[in-house]
Amino acid sequence: MVKPKILLGLLGQAVDGGLDESRWERWRPTVSLFQQEDLVIDRLELLVQRSEHRLAKVIEEDISALSPETEIRRHQVHFDDPWDFAEVYAVLRDFADGLAFDAEREDYLVHITTGTHVAQICMFLLTETRHLPARLVQTAPPRRKRKPDPGQYAIIDLDLSRYDQLAARFAAEREGTISFLKAGIETRSATFNERIDEIERVAIRSTAPILLTGPTGVGKTRLAHRIYELRRRQHLVAGGFVEVNCATLRGDQAMSALFGHERGAFTGALERREGLLRTADGGLLFLDEVGELGLDEQAMLLRALEEGTFLPLGSDAPASSSFQLICGTNRNLAERVRDGEFREDLLARIDLWTFPLPALRERLEDVEPNLEYELERYARDTGRRVTFNREARARFLDFATAPTSTWKANFRDFSAALTRMATLAPGGRINAEVVTAEAERLRGQWSDLERSRGSDAIVEEVLGDRAAELDRFDRVQLAEVLHQCRGARSMSAAGRELFAQSRARKKSKNDADRLAKYLARFGLTWTDVRE
Amino acid sequence: MTKIRIDGRRGEGGGQILRSSLALAAATGTPFEITNIRGGRKRPGLLRQHLTAVRAAAAVCGARIEGDEIGSSGVKFEPGEVRAGEYEFSVGTAGSAMLVLQTVLPPLLRAAGPSELRLGGGTHNPSAPAFEFLARTFAPMVGRMGGELALELVRPGFYPAGGGEVNVRIVPAVDPRPLVLEERGPEGRHVVEIGAAHLPAGIADREWKAVQRVLHWSPDARVDVDFSESRGPGNVLTIVLAHEHVTEVVTGFGAKGVPAERVARRAAGVAKRYLAARAPVGMHLADQLLVPMALLAGGHFDALPPSLHTTTNVDVVRMFLGDVVESEDLGRGDVRFSVRGRV
Repeated sequence: MVKPKILLGLLGQAVDGGLDESRWERWRPTVSLFQQEDLVIDRLELLVQRSEHRLAKVIEEDISALSPETEIRRHQVHFDDPWDFAEVYAVLRDFADGLAFDAEREDYLVHITTGTHVAQICMFLLTETRHLPARLVQTAPPRRKRKPDPGQYAIIDLDLSRYDQLAARFAAEREGTISFLKAGIETRSATFNERIDEIERVAIRSTAPILLTGPTGVGKTRLAHRIYELRRRQHLVAGGFVEVNCATLRGDQAMSALFGHERGAFTGALERREGLLRTADGGLLFLDEVGELGLDEQAMLLRALEEGTFLPLGSDAPASSSFQLICGTNRNLAERVRDGEFREDLLARIDLWTFPLPALRERLEDVEPNLEYELERYARDTGRRVTFNREARARFLDFATAPTSTWKANFRDFSAALTRMATLAPGGRINAEVVTAEAERLRGQWSDLERSRGSDAIVEEVLGDRAAELDRFDRVQLAEVLHQCRGARSMSAAGRELFAQSRARKKSKNDADRLAKYLARFGLTWTDVRE
Repeated sequence: MTKIRIDGRRGEGGGQILRSSLALAAATGTPFEITNIRGGRKRPGLLRQHLTAVRAAAAVCGARIEGDEIGSSGVKFEPGEVRAGEYEFSVGTAGSAMLVLQTVLPPLLRAAGPSELRLGGGTHNPSAPAFEFLARTFAPMVGRMGGELALELVRPGFYPAGGGEVNVRIVPAVDPRPLVLEERGPEGRHVVEIGAAHLPAGIADREWKAVQRVLHWSPDARVDVDFSESRGPGNVLTIVLAHEHVTEVVTGFGAKGVPAERVARRAAGVAKRYLAARAPVGMHLADQLLVPMALLAGGHFDALPPSLHTTTNVDVVRMFLGDVVESEDLGRGDVRFSVRGRV
């Protein structure tokens, strides 16, 4: 069912004016909204200046005749000076505060075509700051005077980011149509773009906690910061942005860093400390790697979320803080709950809005826009503009999107790679040699990481419980083979790599067959390995 | 009962197909679903006046409706029993209240008892039958079919102010009779009624003079009508062409920016052409007759060349009642419509 539409508007002393029948010859903005064939307004909240009773009566009768289904409520307002900004704002603000809005059930429109310019600006501001939870409606006279026509109307929803330009004229022209959350990167991945739109809607309509998940380096911190900036522009948050990585907090220090402590609460606590939750009062707190938070801290955080109060270390008096929360994690928190390492009730509080962010490998179409962005950023940070030559650019894009480029730390790796190449670029020009060197470097880094992580995890992944039955001797070998298989395009390609030496010496015929036989010893087929 | 599915883009493609479908569905108890409402138009979907028609039709037959929202492209309509009684319907935006009557009249003509309607909105709209047309031309035809339709203009409503009021009494046809209309019969007294509300003086004189230049009638054919009750300005010129068997009404609507002389000349031209032709039923009356005739005792009439509205109506009648309308070319574009009634 469509929600009833409620129109809020000032009676326009001049534009809506006219007491005799000749008034029908003119376009009257307030009346024109009730002459639209495709708009039904169920209720009009009409603000009338004390001196305009006669006009109000005429207008109300005209509207009743034109729109019998509309209920009209008249509100008397008084401005000593309708051009006095402070006074008009105060009067309209009082009016807004006095109305019982029920945005769940009713759909509000604020008419901004009537009233003095000052009143129009105030109506706009009250809507923009959501004192009036409404969309704006603007009316305009008919284009062709001769044809019977009530003129045009347009409904403007300030929640949509294309209207951010109104609030942020300084933003570069090209950013106008891109979501603010993308920080000016014209991303192409359809999934990512949809996700961002969704986040933007939620970020503006709700200040409930948001949980951003995804592997390390996908940009959780950056996105949290952009959400904060977006809300600040929309006047949805007044305080600051406070960011903390929970993985860096341990023991007493964790408790005190988050919730503060009294003087002498523990050895070394010489001074009173506010704690990050207090600092975030009225602002937004970003808890990255929230899965690493200790159970005590989780309990206190839950209390802070539920009651708005918490106990600083060594204090009996609860401190209070009202903050918006965004959490980030690369862990599976449901799993942590099962292992008893994360509180289920806390998870329920923070995962109302969960947004998984895709890894760089899942949005390779965004490599190029991000490349432009990183070069811009480098230029901004260092004052040095660096470009790719054509060959180098092609080579880098090939490398970046190749299946063997794992981008383990996602955009963190990507950003670092661009910074290194830009720094090493001779004469501000990144050439093919620089790209090749960087590609080598990254590959080395990724395979080191693989090895140091105990690469035989892959054995368990493929064999399951049977992995435990293997000798260390076989396990290491099998792990290497499996890695090779995963990275190769086909079984023959994997075989060629694995048996390269013997192949060179005795021109062996069928590497694939040899590989298949090796895998069969462990009860594996090529398909098992590729899963 | 099988549901009828209608593509709203058929025929005239506007509100007519919707109104005729509503009237036939309510009168026959046949559910229907219409899609692509006003599909070909610049602003497709239900507009306010159509929404009023849907709800009015639902009210007189206790229908269950879905999709009755502004801008909706589809409506499902499951009628119940037609209920005679007192109803009040108001059309917003000075839309035609006469078109609402057109929607609810057919079912109420088949109800168990008489009904009283109070209609609000526009009474004289350029793209709808005017009050005088319904009262003088159409209402007598309903009488000849065995029912009764009486209209009283309480207050005229013009674009853009609207606010008109009409009282309507409908008595169902207890003993329906076929309508046969082949001849006009001898001419009676033709008149020109001119009403101008809240407009500069002299408009009526200018219009009368312009009519005279085309029709050359004597001064006593002029009747001045008092429209001062109207909420807003409005000017209507009604040429009443009386014959024994049929009274044709031609309406000219004054509009902002259109000289009074042009309004009058145009209407007089239409009247002159009607007088020069033979068939008794004008284009607008043909639109109105088909649905009630098909629901009552049928009959046949000779009509001047039909409009797209008429052919749309034939189309819709066929969908609800089968092949009950036949047309026969009488030459010069005139058509004889023969309608098989239900009773």
